[in-house]
Amino acid sequence: MNTRIKGRVHVLGDNINTDLNCSSKYLPGKDNAYVAQHAFEQVAPGFASRFRPGDVIVAGRNFGINSSREQAVHILRAMGVGGIAAHSFGRLFFRNTINNGLPAIECDISGIADGDEIEIDLAAGNLTVAARGISRTVAALPPAVQQILAAGGLIAYLREHPDWQPA
Amino acid sequence: MGHTIAEKIFAAHAGGKPVRAGDIVVASVDFAMVHDGRAPNALRMIAALGVKNLPFAAKTAFVLDHFSPPPNIEAANTHRAMRAFAEQHGAVLYDVGDGICHQVMPEGGHLTCGDLIVGTDTHSVTYGAFNALGTSVEGTDLAAVMLTGKLWFRVPETIRVELKGALQPGVWAKDITLSMLGRFGAEGVNYRAIEYAGSAVSAMEIDDRMTLANHAAELGAKAALLEADAKTIAWLAAHHARAPRPVKADADATYAESIEIDTTALAPQVARQHQIDDVVGVPEIKGKKINFALIGTCTNGRLDDIRQAAAILRGQRVAKGVRMIVTPASRQVYLAAAREGLLEALTRAGASVEAAGCGTCVNITGHLITGDGEVVISSANRNFRGRLGNDKSEIWLGSAATVAASALTGMITDPRDVAGGQWRAE
Repeated sequence: MNTRIKGRVHVLGDNINTDLNCSSKYLPGKDNAYVAQHAFEQVAPGFASRFRPGDVIVAGRNFGINSSREQAVHILRAMGVGGIAAHSFGRLFFRNTINNGLPAIECDISGIADGDEIEIDLAAGNLTVAARGISRTVAALPPAVQQILAAGGLIAYLREHPDWQPA
Repeated sequence: MGHTIAEKIFAAHAGGKPVRAGDIVVASVDFAMVHDGRAPNALRMIAALGVKNLPFAAKTAFVLDHFSPPPNIEAANTHRAMRAFAEQHGAVLYDVGDGICHQVMPEGGHLTCGDLIVGTDTHSVTYGAFNALGTSVEGTDLAAVMLTGKLWFRVPETIRVELKGALQPGVWAKDITLSMLGRFGAEGVNYRAIEYAGSAVSAMEIDDRMTLANHAAELGAKAALLEADAKTIAWLAAHHARAPRPVKADADATYAESIEIDTTALAPQVARQHQIDDVVGVPEIKGKKINFALIGTCTNGRLDDIRQAAAILRGQRVAKGVRMIVTPASRQVYLAAAREGLLEALTRAGASVEAAGCGTCVNITGHLITGDGEVVISSANRNFRGRLGNDKSEIWLGSAATVAASALTGMITDPRDVAGGQWRAE
């Protein structure tokens, strides 16, 4: 279920720091709802007001770089982010997306623009932006990760499989 | 084709079949750590699991080091919850004043060569100094490990860094990493592991090797791995670690990149204010006045750092107007420094020695509030604007030797230019 990304694209740039742009690390006392309303404001003014549940973030290099609080992914999920496709991810951020059931994939994002309709099948390993004639093969996520995403995250997966014998 | 250290450690922990960089594995973890900074999230995730028993708790350290001592009720209540949870589940507890997670983990004998260790802190890469793969995780990961003893990992590509030649006296592992940050940039090796090898690494004592591995976090490394040698094995035995399982890379291992750095000509380095990768040799800094000098943190708060600082400041006095704080990395380091008379020498010189912990790395305890326009020289690992609570002050980073020499003169100073600044060779 969570191994497919499909929705309207919002493009963000390189080296987006989610601690800075999507957490309360530097906003002590602010709750997730407040941070969500201001997510990515510094790098993409008006981002939160344009974003609709199910929309997809497409980003450049090192998305989620730095110490990468898990809270950022909790906020992205609360915003209804349908998935993230990026050239590359900060490693801890990538862990946090999978662990929280948010589909994310490293891929070639060239030629994709704001407002495009994108579709990525993480199990089959293909990316399509039909209106632009883009159809690419991307590295499929391995079964162990697909299982976690399909369950909706690692906690949900382990509730069903407390002995964790991956496929 | 052969394998890197990271590939071998992940293979050994994921059923024994060979693995390659890029593979995703579910691997058994040998020991885990969570500190008070990330415990609230981790405890929420553990609660979400909805289980009574956490079989891996006995192999998990709960460390109260960041909010040490707690500066507010919220932090005090986090500590209260961590103590109660550790007691209930049989986790290993390190309380306020015991020390920084990355120091008490090896000192407590919780890791050995060949291990796979996770911690909820970016600087968990420190364990690579002992030929253990240490890497940082978040709360959901910690919950999964405490329940299953396992976690999923992407096997990282590795960069091999050969540190050739020999460091001059007064030049430290900190200076090597700062120079690499200047070259590769912050997060310049994001997602990859580093293998450090070469004559300069062999010559380092364990304390300096820990600095080398620790500070790779600022390069974005997933792990920083050294091979084990007689010094490693002896240190681990002295700290009652489990039997070592040393792991070497194969001669024909596949690396993403191999670089050589000649350390012989390296001068002490500093990162200038606000940017960890704005790095320059200390000899190029002329007449930069400082107001605060800080020695401590998981990067440079160990016994050799304190020995080096005391060698510079013994019988001397810090420059007029300079305030200096020394925070030993752990209670063991504190006691050893006390026995050697180092704390007395530093206190007589004008420094304040604080209880072991993360100390003044970041403005948490409120022990160090800088005034507008004031300049800090610190042995810590990060210097983001405002990290010490005032975005109108500057934080510069250097080795403990550079910090102590700078405290003595009141301006950023090459330790090789002051008496005692080449302590290791004396």
